[in-house]
Amino acid sequence: MAPPATQSAVVGTGATRLPGAVGSGSGPQSSLERFFATSAGRVGARLLLIALILLAWEYAPVARATRFWMSSPSAILGTLWDWLFDGTIWAHLESTLLVMSEGYVVGCVAGVGIGFLLGFFSRLSRVLAPLLAGFYALPKIALAPLFVILLGVDNSSKIALVAVTVFFLVLTSTIDGVREVDRNTVNALALMGATRTEIIRKVLIWAALPWIFTGMRLAVRYAFTTTLLAELIAANRGLGFLIELNSGNFNTTGAYAAIVVVIICSVLLTELLSRLESRMSHWVS
Amino acid sequence: MNDLTPARAVAADAGTPAAKIRLLCAEKTFQVRGQDIEALHPTDLDIRPHEFMALVGPSGCGKSTILNMMAGLMRPTAGEVLYDGQPVTGPNRRVGYMTQKDTLLPWRTTKDNIRIALELKSHATPRAEAEDRVRQMIELVGLKGFENHTPAELSGGMRKRAAMARTLIYEPETLLMDEPFGALDSQLKLLMLDQLQCLTQHRRMSVVFVTHDLGEAITLSDRIVVLSARPGRIRAIHDVKLERPRDVFKVRFTPAFSEQHERLWDELKDDIIKGTDV
Repeated sequence: MAPPATQSAVVGTGATRLPGAVGSGSGPQSSLERFFATSAGRVGARLLLIALILLAWEYAPVARATRFWMSSPSAILGTLWDWLFDGTIWAHLESTLLVMSEGYVVGCVAGVGIGFLLGFFSRLSRVLAPLLAGFYALPKIALAPLFVILLGVDNSSKIALVAVTVFFLVLTSTIDGVREVDRNTVNALALMGATRTEIIRKVLIWAALPWIFTGMRLAVRYAFTTTLLAELIAANRGLGFLIELNSGNFNTTGAYAAIVVVIICSVLLTELLSRLESRMSHWVS
Repeated sequence: MNDLTPARAVAADAGTPAAKIRLLCAEKTFQVRGQDIEALHPTDLDIRPHEFMALVGPSGCGKSTILNMMAGLMRPTAGEVLYDGQPVTGPNRRVGYMTQKDTLLPWRTTKDNIRIALELKSHATPRAEAEDRVRQMIELVGLKGFENHTPAELSGGMRKRAAMARTLIYEPETLLMDEPFGALDSQLKLLMLDQLQCLTQHRRMSVVFVTHDLGEAITLSDRIVVLSARPGRIRAIHDVKLERPRDVFKVRFTPAFSEQHERLWDELKDDIIKGTDV
């Protein structure tokens, strides 16, 4: 549903850059080309593009009904501004982050713990493997209504859902990590006289760590998505609930504002993760 | 294999003290895609206490299989492996095994890798003493300056030396080594051979040592076992009649050494030529 003005604006930016790229080589166009090649230039170009889209969105000559559906940046910004100062946004953000992190921590701890257990006792894991595979394949969101009945509409049902989602991701990567350990390394330690406990402590746990980190990193995004979905389905607080509430009231501006908050959250989350990752992976080849 | 073959009868009443490790009609067959591949033909072999024995032969002649069976990491398909007269049924904790591919822990630095045996209850060592021995080992194998590097930051030869230090540090009574010096340049190899000879003589270790390098085998060994191409079987056992201690840097220029080398080569060349086009 992009308004026509937006399209022409995008094409417009492309048009100003094209002659430079073709290389007519003269004056302002080629210096513009050079400017876009620098990192400051790229950021500038990006901001310019966003500004153009926002302007087009704000001033597009559209019918009143269309304007109602698409809202406008200034209205969204206004809503965000109000939410920021009347505390609305903080309450919902807090709820979402709380549900997500509590579910995440519970899921990770259980997943790593039980994963190690199943990894160390391979007979046990062979018995349980088909059951786990079945649960792993199940989209956990299907359990949401059930958790609501069992645990109520408040946070505990959503925490449980997030925990279950995270649990299976971390569980499988932990089991894989323990199982993929190099047999020769374990043998080498056994020949040195290492006990089973020592082999677990000195080899298996360490060898599984990169796998566990991979699972945990993946699980962060799943935890966020699951939290939002759970809040969309049944909740009385949280960002998902905020989107659902405003959409239900036909307050499109409010829904867009909540989505903006979600986008900001996911960008920050991604950034945080990639920083953590680059710090952790110094010995993970 | 229930009939008592003559070889087995002789071995059985020869008494245990004579052999540190003994293969009795040990054979190994692998299943590869449903096909039986005979890696080692039924073999009898005694390793005497404090002996330095080299296994030479073309690729795929079962040298590593023999070491794996002595270490208890592989059961013979038939026959038996005895260590001090006792059958080897599980990981043999009396041996230090340096495998062809090193098994250094990638998350540990060189010095932490070398120390690992001393951290185990079976070789429990006070921290200060352990640090001391690690330092000596690092100097011995020439890894000074690389104590805090991880295996990924070491060259192939350095990793071999770290693996050797890790095996030697807890002074196992028997050493099994699978091409320990393959990745080293020839000068460094001589230095390492010298250190190894020093240490194993001093600690009176028994050593079984797989190599492709005949010179290396002659320099270090008391006896050299020549194996034939697959299925591996013992073709000959050569006594090396060179005085100990040997000067690893000069021994190779003596007539006795050349003569030994020639005899070994004659024994091996047909198989090696056959082995290369496998």
